[in-house]
Amino acid sequence: MIVLASVPPIQLDAHTLNSVYATLPLWPLFGTVAIGLMLAFNRAKEMAHYAVIAGVGAAAVLAGGVFYSMLNDGAAAAHGPGHADAARLMLVSDPPAQHAPADAHAPAAAHAPASASSAAAGHGAHGDHGPHILRYHQYTAFHWFSLGLIGGQTRWVDVNFFVDSLTGVMLIVVTFVALMVVIYSVGYMRDHHGHQEEGYERFFAWLGLFVFSMLMLVLAGNFVLLYLGWEAVGLCSYLLIGFYYQKPAAAAAAKKAFLVNRIGDFGFALGIFAIYHFLSPIVQPGENPLDYATLFKYVDKLETMSLWGVSAPTLIGLLLLCGALGKSAQFPIYVWLPDAMEGPSPVSALIHAATMVTAGVYMVARLGPIYARSPEAMDVVMWVGIIGAVLAATMAMAQHDMKRILAYSTMSQLAFMFVALGVGAPQAAIFHLYTHAFFKALLFLCAGGVMHSMGNIIDVRYFSGLKSVLPSTYRLMFIGCLALAGFPLLSGFWSKDEIVHAALDNRPWVGYVLLFTAAMTAYYTFRMFFLCFNGPTRTPPEAGDHPHDSPPVMTWPLYPLALGAIAAGFVGYGGHDGFFHKYVADSSMVATAAHTSAAWPIMLISGAIAIGAIFVAFARYGDAPRNEPDQQLLGPLWNLWNAKYLVDEIYDAIFVRPLRAFGKLLFDADRHGVDGVVNAVGATPGRLSSIAAWTQRGALQGYAVAMVLGLGLVFIVWRWLTPATGL
Amino acid sequence: MLAAYLAIGAALFILGLVGFLTRRNLIVMFLCTELMFQGIIVNLVAFGRYPLSGPPTLHGQIFALFLLVVAAAEAALGLALVVLLYRNKGTLDANAWTLLRDA
Repeated sequence: MIVLASVPPIQLDAHTLNSVYATLPLWPLFGTVAIGLMLAFNRAKEMAHYAVIAGVGAAAVLAGGVFYSMLNDGAAAAHGPGHADAARLMLVSDPPAQHAPADAHAPAAAHAPASASSAAAGHGAHGDHGPHILRYHQYTAFHWFSLGLIGGQTRWVDVNFFVDSLTGVMLIVVTFVALMVVIYSVGYMRDHHGHQEEGYERFFAWLGLFVFSMLMLVLAGNFVLLYLGWEAVGLCSYLLIGFYYQKPAAAAAAKKAFLVNRIGDFGFALGIFAIYHFLSPIVQPGENPLDYATLFKYVDKLETMSLWGVSAPTLIGLLLLCGALGKSAQFPIYVWLPDAMEGPSPVSALIHAATMVTAGVYMVARLGPIYARSPEAMDVVMWVGIIGAVLAATMAMAQHDMKRILAYSTMSQLAFMFVALGVGAPQAAIFHLYTHAFFKALLFLCAGGVMHSMGNIIDVRYFSGLKSVLPSTYRLMFIGCLALAGFPLLSGFWSKDEIVHAALDNRPWVGYVLLFTAAMTAYYTFRMFFLCFNGPTRTPPEAGDHPHDSPPVMTWPLYPLALGAIAAGFVGYGGHDGFFHKYVADSSMVATAAHTSAAWPIMLISGAIAIGAIFVAFARYGDAPRNEPDQQLLGPLWNLWNAKYLVDEIYDAIFVRPLRAFGKLLFDADRHGVDGVVNAVGATPGRLSSIAAWTQRGALQGYAVAMVLGLGLVFIVWRWLTPATGL
Repeated sequence: MLAAYLAIGAALFILGLVGFLTRRNLIVMFLCTELMFQGIIVNLVAFGRYPLSGPPTLHGQIFALFLLVVAAAEAALGLALVVLLYRNKGTLDANAWTLLRDA
């Protein structure tokens, strides 16, 4: 069942505490502002990192508090139902059976189960789901702007936060990874002598701004605020990819990321407009249709509406999905992500692996009630995921650049999450998002360590056998690779297995594709790992004479991440009765997938596949061969993968060049057409006056002649006009 | 009688005008303007002595004396300017000066 059920919100007595929690996203922003102040006192270089570490640290502590409070909401509900106004933190808890039916203030109305069954049709059996209960806090900080008087009341767009258990998970992921990455950056953004790089303070300022934006995205309680965070993380991504803006490749990559994201965001904006279009006529006065709470309250009415023959949930779902595809680098607009690796490695780890790129997954999961009512949109989500997973995995098989391999694996893992969303198992998607953040951040930071030690060389053809050179990076990366490969009992194993399980139960063939992709994942991950760390020790000349492990400030933050990569998955132990699923069960994620089979056979199979693929990788790449055995074996196919399916070239031919030609046409039309008219208007008086100026010869006697002739003319006119006097 | 005086005045004026238009030497041109001046003054005196109506008055002669004073002042200024122009270009040719011409 995908019924949203609710009860009157109850008021928490700890309002002060809630206000403290509401400052959560501001702390990283304070860090950025502090750097601005330091610049004024010329202290930014040596102090910038303290400000941002403190800001992100404060946010992480508060995120822990939020996570814990969502955990304990059940206990808080025991105080009994109360009454709350919308401007306060609200709590919706317990099934409607235990409380009076929803009053006018209830953010989500109780729905009859019958009304939802039609939406669920085509998604298999749902017998094991009760009515979906959504428990959330809503905190309204202030009215942002007014949409005018509608129905006698001002319709406000608020700055409000929507906090449920999904938010709790996302906050933990974002702040924890961000904290580790910021600390790591203190070491990374220096040269080998410990001097800060050019733009050190700029880097930290933008990291702070990014964390603020990401937290706003996650906490946003309405679509306007979501859009703000959505665009702000895109901006920070642009700024940080282009951090080395003197490098043409970095500047081009930043531009590409921004422009490709704009394509998706256009659809995203249309989706928001569509929500407003559908809901605006039916909401109560004083409610804003763009609030999540309002949307969820009226989502059933949405189901009966349509535009141009497309049902409202499908239209909204597909349009919003466009934004998710851009932000989460999914087919067909993923092309910016591999290029985004031009940014500094900590940025790749934080923004382009662990947090920002998961925004699309988060958004689709958050809007579970919408997607659950549109099997068509869910199918599109699933298909996009399947295509992306296979495409990215094959491309990752044939790359040489470590960070690009990791970028494609990120895309592939995000595609796994989309498949999970598409088959109706958003909890599995968010679980994978959560474990993926740990091990992928770990992998990117390790790759950054390798790059740092190898003098900014990241191509696996230029080094090998780094096991003895970088022992601690080797150990940490091994853990990360095992987790990514889905090695049994590590975090990636649990979450990936859950996605495969959900797929197998609902669309078996999708499950088989995912299992195959998972095998490829394990294979290419360890191909990269062996090429880097096994075989004879070779280092590029750029690495200097004595390449060595990273300094402690770059190693220390990796241990918590490694711990997460090993153990984070255990919160999902027990499947649907496990801690993670119980924790997120009352979030706005709506599961429509059926669970028909037992978990353990699939766990055995996927574990065996991961181990098998790792062994195959060891057999083929264990001694870091330099002749690329896969290329020998697969030939043209491998070359096609290596060339990334020529997608960049195809897009260049189909979109970039025609658009550029069109732009050139418009530019010429503007320059010669519009500018021509304007310039002509300006030039005409000049031309005319030059004719008059010709009479001004400058010769004294010329003027005298003119005067005499003029006098004569005056005389003649005078004689002509006056009758003769006889003089 | 008036017509005769006016004829002489007009002749002086025309002589000065033609001289001014045809000669290139700045001093000669300057003298030609003086000649035109004198033609005007002859007219003034003639109109004072033979007014178109009423008895003759001294107004014309007073006007003439006044104009002579103005002409003397103007001659001092004009000649000073001519000297200055000569010092700048080393020539008295009026065609040497075409600064007001547009490019």
